[in-house]
Amino acid sequence: MSSDTTDCSIDSAKQALLDKVAPATLKDQNLVTNNREFSWVTNKICKIVESNTPNWWWVCMAVALVTASFTLMGLIWLVSTGVGVWGLANPINWGWAIVNFVFWIGIGHAGTLISAILCLLKQGWRTSINRAAEAMTIFAVVCAGIFPLFHVGRVWFAWWLFPLPNANLIWPQFRSPLEWDVFAVSTYGTVSVLFWYMGMIPDLGILRDRAVQRLTAGIYEETSKLRESIARGTDVFRKYFYGVLAMGWRNAGNHWRNYEMAYLLLAGLSTPLVLSVHTIVSFDFAVAVLPGWHTTIFPPFFVAGAIFSGFGMVLTLMLPLRALYGLHDLITQRHIDNMCKICLGTGSIVGYAYIMEFFIAWYGANPYESFAFINRAFGQYSWAYYIMFSCNVFTPQLFWFKKVRQNAALVWIMSILINVGMWFERFVITVTSLANDFLPSSWGYYSPTIVDIFTFAGTFGLFSTLFLMFLRFLPLMPIGEIKFIMPQADPHGHSDDDGKESE
Amino acid sequence: MKEKSQEHGAKYWKSLDDLSETPAFKEWVDKEFPSGASELEGVGRRNFMKIMAASFGLAGLGMTGCRRPKQHILPYAQQPENLIPGVANFYCSSVPGMTANIPVIVESHQGRPTKIEGNPSYKPFGGATSTYNQASILDLYDPDRATTSSYNKSKITAYQVKDFLLSLKETSLESKGNGLAVLAEPSASPSREALKKAFKTRYPEATWTEYTPSQFLNTSKAAKAIYGFSVKNSVDFSKVNRILSIDSDFLSEGDDALAKSRGFTAKRKILNKDEVSKMNRLYSVESNLTSTGSMADHRLRLSVSQMPAFIAKLGIEIIRLAKVGSELESTLSAIASTCEIEDNWIKECAVDLYASKGHSVILLGDHLSTEAQALGFYLNQILSAPLALLEDKVSAPEITNLANSIKAGSVKTLIVLGGNPIFNAPADLEWNKLYNKIDTTIHLSYSFNETSAESDYHIAQSHYLETWSDGRTPEGHLVPVQPLIEPLFDTFDELSILSSLVHDTSKENYAIVKDTFANLGGSDFNQFLKEGILESISYARSSATVNIPALAELLKKASMEKVQLGLNNLELRFIPSFHAFDGRFANNGWLMECPDPITKLTWDNALLISPRLAKELESEYGVSIFASSTAMNEGSDFFKSVKGELQKNSSVFKRGKESAVIAQIEVGGKHLDIPIHVLPGLANYTVVLPYGMGRNLVGRVGENVGINTYGLRTSEGMGFITGAKLKTTEKRFYLANTQEHWSMEGRAIVREGNVDYYKKNPDFVNQMGVESHAPKNYGYKDDASLSDKSQNQYRGNSAYVHPKFNEPDPNVKVWKDKEELYPANQQWGMTIDLNTCTGCSACVVACQSENNIPIVGKDQVLRGREMHWIRLDRYFSAEKYTPSEIPEDVQVSFMGMTCAHCENAPCESVCPVNATVHDKEGLNTMAYNRCVGTRYCANNCPYKVRRFNFFDWNKREIGEFYKGPLGPVEEPELEKMRANPDVTVRMRGVMEKCTYCVQRIQAAKITQKSIAGASSETAVPDGTIKTACQQVCPNDSITFGDISDPKSEVSKMKASDRNYSVLGYLNVRPRTTYLARLRNPNKLMPDYYKKPYAYKAYKDRYGSSQSTSGHDAHDSHGDHSHSHSESHNDESHPAH
Repeated sequence: MSSDTTDCSIDSAKQALLDKVAPATLKDQNLVTNNREFSWVTNKICKIVESNTPNWWWVCMAVALVTASFTLMGLIWLVSTGVGVWGLANPINWGWAIVNFVFWIGIGHAGTLISAILCLLKQGWRTSINRAAEAMTIFAVVCAGIFPLFHVGRVWFAWWLFPLPNANLIWPQFRSPLEWDVFAVSTYGTVSVLFWYMGMIPDLGILRDRAVQRLTAGIYEETSKLRESIARGTDVFRKYFYGVLAMGWRNAGNHWRNYEMAYLLLAGLSTPLVLSVHTIVSFDFAVAVLPGWHTTIFPPFFVAGAIFSGFGMVLTLMLPLRALYGLHDLITQRHIDNMCKICLGTGSIVGYAYIMEFFIAWYGANPYESFAFINRAFGQYSWAYYIMFSCNVFTPQLFWFKKVRQNAALVWIMSILINVGMWFERFVITVTSLANDFLPSSWGYYSPTIVDIFTFAGTFGLFSTLFLMFLRFLPLMPIGEIKFIMPQADPHGHSDDDGKESE
Repeated sequence: MKEKSQEHGAKYWKSLDDLSETPAFKEWVDKEFPSGASELEGVGRRNFMKIMAASFGLAGLGMTGCRRPKQHILPYAQQPENLIPGVANFYCSSVPGMTANIPVIVESHQGRPTKIEGNPSYKPFGGATSTYNQASILDLYDPDRATTSSYNKSKITAYQVKDFLLSLKETSLESKGNGLAVLAEPSASPSREALKKAFKTRYPEATWTEYTPSQFLNTSKAAKAIYGFSVKNSVDFSKVNRILSIDSDFLSEGDDALAKSRGFTAKRKILNKDEVSKMNRLYSVESNLTSTGSMADHRLRLSVSQMPAFIAKLGIEIIRLAKVGSELESTLSAIASTCEIEDNWIKECAVDLYASKGHSVILLGDHLSTEAQALGFYLNQILSAPLALLEDKVSAPEITNLANSIKAGSVKTLIVLGGNPIFNAPADLEWNKLYNKIDTTIHLSYSFNETSAESDYHIAQSHYLETWSDGRTPEGHLVPVQPLIEPLFDTFDELSILSSLVHDTSKENYAIVKDTFANLGGSDFNQFLKEGILESISYARSSATVNIPALAELLKKASMEKVQLGLNNLELRFIPSFHAFDGRFANNGWLMECPDPITKLTWDNALLISPRLAKELESEYGVSIFASSTAMNEGSDFFKSVKGELQKNSSVFKRGKESAVIAQIEVGGKHLDIPIHVLPGLANYTVVLPYGMGRNLVGRVGENVGINTYGLRTSEGMGFITGAKLKTTEKRFYLANTQEHWSMEGRAIVREGNVDYYKKNPDFVNQMGVESHAPKNYGYKDDASLSDKSQNQYRGNSAYVHPKFNEPDPNVKVWKDKEELYPANQQWGMTIDLNTCTGCSACVVACQSENNIPIVGKDQVLRGREMHWIRLDRYFSAEKYTPSEIPEDVQVSFMGMTCAHCENAPCESVCPVNATVHDKEGLNTMAYNRCVGTRYCANNCPYKVRRFNFFDWNKREIGEFYKGPLGPVEEPELEKMRANPDVTVRMRGVMEKCTYCVQRIQAAKITQKSIAGASSETAVPDGTIKTACQQVCPNDSITFGDISDPKSEVSKMKASDRNYSVLGYLNVRPRTTYLARLRNPNKLMPDYYKKPYAYKAYKDRYGSSQSTSGHDAHDSHGDHSHSHSESHNDESHPAH
């Protein structure tokens, strides 16, 4: 934002030249528009939690819960009966479960990327979306965690994957990528929760304080006695609920100092996780000997894909929220533009990887390898490949156009297409490689069963349930951080463009 | 101590150290206490309470709900003789057959027979058994077997049956057997033969008929005509170099198939190029594609109707070559006039056969006409074929005679001993109607089947493992049928029923068998039982020669009519089902689920049709039989340029399932709807229909399985019938096929070479595949001996290093400082010789029997969840591979694929819980207890040989899998009894796979250790351990043993230059390696091929670019010299 570029080191000749050129001061669009005040931000965000539950929330919640029950039913049948209720068989021993796992884990990547890497890079625009994105991350990890846990044949022994002393006196096998997964995903989950929760503490304090203020001032504009006492009761609950969660946050200067330091440290800690988790997930495939899996390109390719799908999902969630809660001033077109551009970038990396895989398959001159890739594109699962390729490679290319980025409805549809495409990418990688590997005699075909489909569909219900709960009970955006990036927060903020703004 | 020393009295010290009170001694005294004792001192009351409370708390938290199931073990009050719990007993017996018994040794655990193995004392079989023999033990524990006898479908006791038989005997004796008839199955039992004789003398007016649907009498008719008496052939394959098989599946059909197969393949065991000359050559002319055809060096597709003309033409050629006179020639040329086969094929074949006079033989299918059989006998005589004519006593009248007498009303009482005539008698006899005309019908059968339901009396039959009997081998040696267990139910058998009819005082089977033994000239019965065979007696050999005028007379009767086959005049060929045989095994799950070696179908029978017929049907009726073609199988230039790697070669598979069109076949006014399966290698207009499936009164396993095709089979057309019409319908049916993809895609998986090529390029096998271009697996140690390689696992730069195999474990103190005495672990390995594997699939069932492998049912096979530890891959390859078409002429390659026990096992490194690990003997072991079922191992297995328990296969019935806890969860008691107690029964959620029969290895090691005693001779001698698949294989294609011992059989096999690792380039270093297949084509034949089609496909796809890239100097060199020699041959032999 700053445009004062006077630099003494530039020699005079150049200075003269520069003066002549008189570079235009290119200004980014403000991250909070309409010249809002600090109090407006606080009210806007806190009211989401404090106002009466909107009807659409109940409807959504009901739908989400019903959908989530599919997963529950699917898992009950699975555990009580056997993994055979899924469509798995020799040679395709991993099907939708692993696809869904990678899919959800991938979605989880945007949250940490936004909160950690963008924080370290001092990208101010992250503030309006990071809280929701982090929540999304955690809920996506919850959904993801279901699949590797329940896809095992004897789920009651799944704890053997953890290095716990047990009666069999056998330690986990640390050469297995699945073992790495256990650590990668659990670390990721833990750090994400910590980061999310810690970032929320000041806002929880605000919610607590607002409830306390209302209680002491006794300002309730309710129509009836009953309503008033309900509101009062709710505030008492809030006082303790947020009070406990806020862990004694007093908004003190040293609180803020410690908070900032801790936040920075956690951001530093999470940054490698953004790269490591999906790298390790990609090792599930890359470490195997299977043609189509045994590929060194997988780690960067998977990470790019994960960020791609993560931002897709953030867009899918934030655009409706923006409309529902009228958050246009906080989630501005600039935010949408930035997210679209990240999708464009990562989508192009993914597209490049697809093409590179073919090149290497040809260049490697291994008949099994080259077959695996040609088969992907033209074999029995070519339909999946086409869906994947068109959604992941062609869709984001539209983001080159400003008009497209400015059309929220279109962006929303495309963000969904991105996630469809990314789900199919995992499907293509997992299933096509398994279905047609080395010995043609054992080639097969995989079809999901109704249980597969329901279990997966149910995770969207679970995700939505959790997200709706988050909307209702926790601050959607970091109030304090948004205030930091408002023009008013910059005491040296000056000048022409911001001059109109007061303070 | 000081105080003590001040005490009075003598002081005693333990040692000088004690006296001097050295610190070391004090420490030693301290340590002498049990380790726990000193630690306890540090635990205070509070700590103790804390720990106890915590552990009690945890115990209460976690363990209250979980209790191990309570099981009672009761000791024997009186220990039976020879029974040591945990140690198996073995008894000699034999499996009764139609014409011969198969000598076996039965393994018994605590009185339960659990496994059947061939008796190696009988040399022609070499300890082998067939698929059916292996599976027959399952029938013993079939919960659907008949457990009681019944009268008009209500149960009766064994005493009532005996009473009835007594009264029957009395009334029949009065009438001298008038109105009494017996319909039995043919049997090789001399005791039954004796009882039959006695029956005939006691009831002179009774009739005795024998019938079984798979038996043809044409051979014996022909023999009677030209020799004057019935004979059967016994070929001495050790002397045979050239074989012409005319529609004869001699490698798998008949009770002596094992001997033939063993004899045939013995000449194909070639360790190095110097042994190549012993390789025999098989010409096969067949209408159906069989195992025999798949082994052929030259194979000709020919309809059965054309066979007589073919044989006649061949006869002319041979007679001319032998110059034995022309009296038959005119008759023969009349028959041969309709022959459609290229002259050269027959001519060159005849030349080759005659050139090996004395060492060549012609084998004919039993279903071929009497005339053809007679001519076959004569041609073999001209060729001086090394075969013996054994006198055969087929004398029973045919079932048609019995039908006529029933029609005439002369049969009042019919005793049906075994068999199932209502189901399988020729359709034109309308047995069902005839049967109900009879006043009293009695049926002895093992299960309550279609015939039992129509019978007045049904008598439950005993299993052969429950009764005494006897039998004869193909040569006529006597073998016992010895019971392994008391009859589980009140059941009877043939001998006891016949005996109660012919003997005045009841005579036990044991006594009958013993008498027969004595009458045949045996002396020591116990010795006989111990050895399981009495070789001193055998069938008489005949030196009769063909009566040529009689032959000429017979040939004149042959039909000269030319049958023009086509879409509207198809030839329908009947074959017994691979699964149910003639229907008797319809309730045997192992057989139902064992894939047919050629079609790979399980649980179904389908009408087999040729690809050409399929195409004609498509264009005629517009129903697409093949899956719709896609961009991948258009053969466009683009795909050609990317080497046309196709996943979807033309087939009838849709989404991994064989979606077969149901066609209606019509013959002789009868219709049948049946799914069709397109099979290459069939004669164009011959359709093949397996019979025996589709039983409608059968147990749980066989219910609704397959289609009954006996309705089309008449007494005139038992083997084949012409005039059939086929039309497709819109309906479809899923066939459970275990192998979707028939092409090897040019990959170097099954490696094949021609004998000549091999002679010039003995190392051609190892110049194929990616590994011929990849770095050596063993790096600089590549020249090390196999023994060295197997024991010192060089793993490149891998961080993971195997421990040394010849060092004791660190905790074995006995060997401390004596490592040199520690015997090195034996290193197990296996070879599979693709040159001798005929695809018979006995190994699949033997493995299932040995290793408690469950069956999963058709639905689960359709989903691809079959559990077999051995998969028998079958690939087709054609001269020209066009993916858009199923070829008409194919070469078949078999490859038994099972866990290869890779030294660098890719399954092990990915298991997160250490459930699959390597042991010191090189086995890749599965710890079922540790397995949580991530299935990563199965994904990472390049051979796809791991099998996952998707459901509780063992505890739940087929069809109940999806009910989970709501369905019944216990295996029937009877089924439980058959499990091999040495092998864990796996629960759901765990992975399993071939273990190299680790239980057998361990048993052998224990035995060897007890032999070794204190000496260090603990190494198990080579040949002691036989895996179940190896044991059952008639061709000894599988060799197992210690690869660290250069003298072991398996090391010798691995030293062969035919030896290679499948996918060796992956550096997984499989312990199971394969010996490449050789083909021995005749250069003069018009269908001579320079390279086996599989090799050609490899060269076409992957070979050419490699040789041009210059990596492959050897290969291109080899290829060059090869083509050079071929062009030379081309010039010298214009026969091409």
